[in-house]
Amino acid sequence: MKRRALLAAGAAGLLGCAGGDGGVPLWFSYGGKNREALLALVAAFNAEFPAHRLSPVYQGDYFELLAKLRTSLHAGRAPAVTHVIAEVMPYLVSADVLEPLDGLPGLGGDLGFVEPLAQAGAFTNGAPDRLYGVPFNRSTPIAYYNGDVLREIGREPAATWDDLVSFAAAAQKGDEASRRWGFSVPVDWWFWVAMLGQAGGSLVDASGAFTLGGDAGVRALAFLQELVYERRLMRPPPGRDYNAWQVQNAEFLAGRVATIWTSTAFVRYLEDNAKFPVVCAPLPRLERAAVPTGGTMFVVPKGGPPAWHEAAGHFLAFMSRPDRSNEFATKTGYIPVTRAGITLLEQAGYYEKKPNDRVAVDQLANVMPWPWHRELFRVQREVVQARLESAVLERRDAREILDAARAAIERAR
Amino acid sequence: MRPRAAMHPYLMVAPTVLVLALFFVYPLFAAAYESVHAWDLLTPRRYVGLENYRELSQSGALWGAFSRTLGFGAVVVVFSVGLGLLLAISLNRPGRLYELLRGAIFSAYVVSWVAVALLWMWILDADAGLLTRSLRGLALPTTSWLGNPDAALWSIAGVTVWKITGYAMVVFLAGLQSIPRSLHEAAALDGAGPLARFRYVTWPALRPTTAFVATTSLIMSFQAFDVIRVMTQGGPVRSTTLFVYAIYEEVFMNLRVGRASALVVVFFGVLVVLTLLNLWALGVSQARRARA
Repeated sequence: MKRRALLAAGAAGLLGCAGGDGGVPLWFSYGGKNREALLALVAAFNAEFPAHRLSPVYQGDYFELLAKLRTSLHAGRAPAVTHVIAEVMPYLVSADVLEPLDGLPGLGGDLGFVEPLAQAGAFTNGAPDRLYGVPFNRSTPIAYYNGDVLREIGREPAATWDDLVSFAAAAQKGDEASRRWGFSVPVDWWFWVAMLGQAGGSLVDASGAFTLGGDAGVRALAFLQELVYERRLMRPPPGRDYNAWQVQNAEFLAGRVATIWTSTAFVRYLEDNAKFPVVCAPLPRLERAAVPTGGTMFVVPKGGPPAWHEAAGHFLAFMSRPDRSNEFATKTGYIPVTRAGITLLEQAGYYEKKPNDRVAVDQLANVMPWPWHRELFRVQREVVQARLESAVLERRDAREILDAARAAIERAR
Repeated sequence: MRPRAAMHPYLMVAPTVLVLALFFVYPLFAAAYESVHAWDLLTPRRYVGLENYRELSQSGALWGAFSRTLGFGAVVVVFSVGLGLLLAISLNRPGRLYELLRGAIFSAYVVSWVAVALLWMWILDADAGLLTRSLRGLALPTTSWLGNPDAALWSIAGVTVWKITGYAMVVFLAGLQSIPRSLHEAAALDGAGPLARFRYVTWPALRPTTAFVATTSLIMSFQAFDVIRVMTQGGPVRSTTLFVYAIYEEVFMNLRVGRASALVVVFFGVLVVLTLLNLWALGVSQARRARA
């Protein structure tokens, strides 16, 4: 064992990208509770597997980490293991920069993952047979309500889009200077995809071509415009990407908005910091209930020495154990990624004590898988996101905007 | 002074030439090369000719970044120079109070951009921000300063002016203090009032200083990145995506090295044109002075 550790350290040193303290580098995103929970798990792994000691290195938010990962892959200095947003996996796999994981120690066979959260169930339209990602930080969007407001206006969480409108209208109060807004959601691709699904559409057609939901995509976008301009029940939070999410969380915590849609990842954070009871609920339906999955997958970049792959395999197997995945999930609000883990929590009566944690688990029945498409990530970042902002913030015609997006996707092919 | 050996001057400038070649000339040629390729750092690069330029042009990204950057630069230069000059003239007096005021105004310039951005995010908050509350208190209209596509760029320009005006003020103060007092005294004896003294004595003497402040302010405005990264991330609806941020976004967010390089090449062209205009304006001004 000692010899193996020395070899690993030597190889890492030669590659020049070992962690700060000479361990096997693990890159991760996000601070706060998520960081604390992950670092505790890494410490437990290091205690159990001292020969494969990991050095966790914080690399900013998901997009910052991805940028650094690409440059490190190009420079031949990629970490041993990292996590990336799930939507970028088709791109990375097609670029042949990820190591298949099913050959790594402890990662063969059925790992007991919750299907909609794992690679096999999170993607459709040509996902590969080989395993490239182990689910981690997996989430769905959910609705958060200010419990005091629910009591104040005597309402239940909205079950349909119509309910949402009437709830927001009843909850909104105050003048411009001290308004409590009825509803808020970041103008973001993730939530628009959820609404597109609720309106009965899907991102791609049977052949895998991007339709952006057709009429359902337009309905989703038009509904956001209606909430902002006609009904004046929502003010889109400023900023882009995750900054908008943070601003929205702050407004919810300050009591300036009655209900928000955001990731289940914030359950613990919002519960711990709110001065009012936080009530979580599934997203409302229109034609049907639908949510996309979010969050990341652990991946192993190609190019590392065998000792790193071995360490990565042990670590991913460790993180896939029901007790370990539950530890992360219960500390943060992310969904437990193993079936056995959920069963364990059910048997222990955890969800009776923490009903908010149950919402995302129940929503897994309504998950819309992402298309396994090389350009999925670019369609999101380059083509759709800015156009969604334009439609909502500049009040442009929803159909024209999505037609332009489809034309841009076609041009880029 | 004659060098002892013919090679000595070349040896003396060699380190500078080497650094310039390595960190400025080579990257520029590399950017020009990449701009005619499609590359994502992960897969082999592919020659695409002028496709990146065509796509940037057709999508409106090029013109958008160009017009926003020029507009932003113009606002920042005009206001930082104007306010800097006004403050310098107002505070160019002896006394503890004036020293304190000069120090306080200049202090914004030495604070990091990130700290400034965070402070102004709080001030510009659409609900609870200091500016919003003050305007509401005065019954004046307000908006979502960073969330409204029509307001966000000008809000960031305002923050930039606030930060760099102290620098402009200090340079103008140095310029003012280098003007011989005798010129003002002679003009006063000839019956020139404060405005006439400013127009015929102070302003002509400050022209080189103004050119310097304007040029450095323009450079600072063109380099704007941190403040945008922290405050708006280029949004809403790309309304604050200036050239440098657009380059960052293309290469690091959209995985398109070729398009980012095309933006670099165009940006370089814009800077060359502006530099030539600056040199031309300086030449005209010097010729006028020589004729006078």
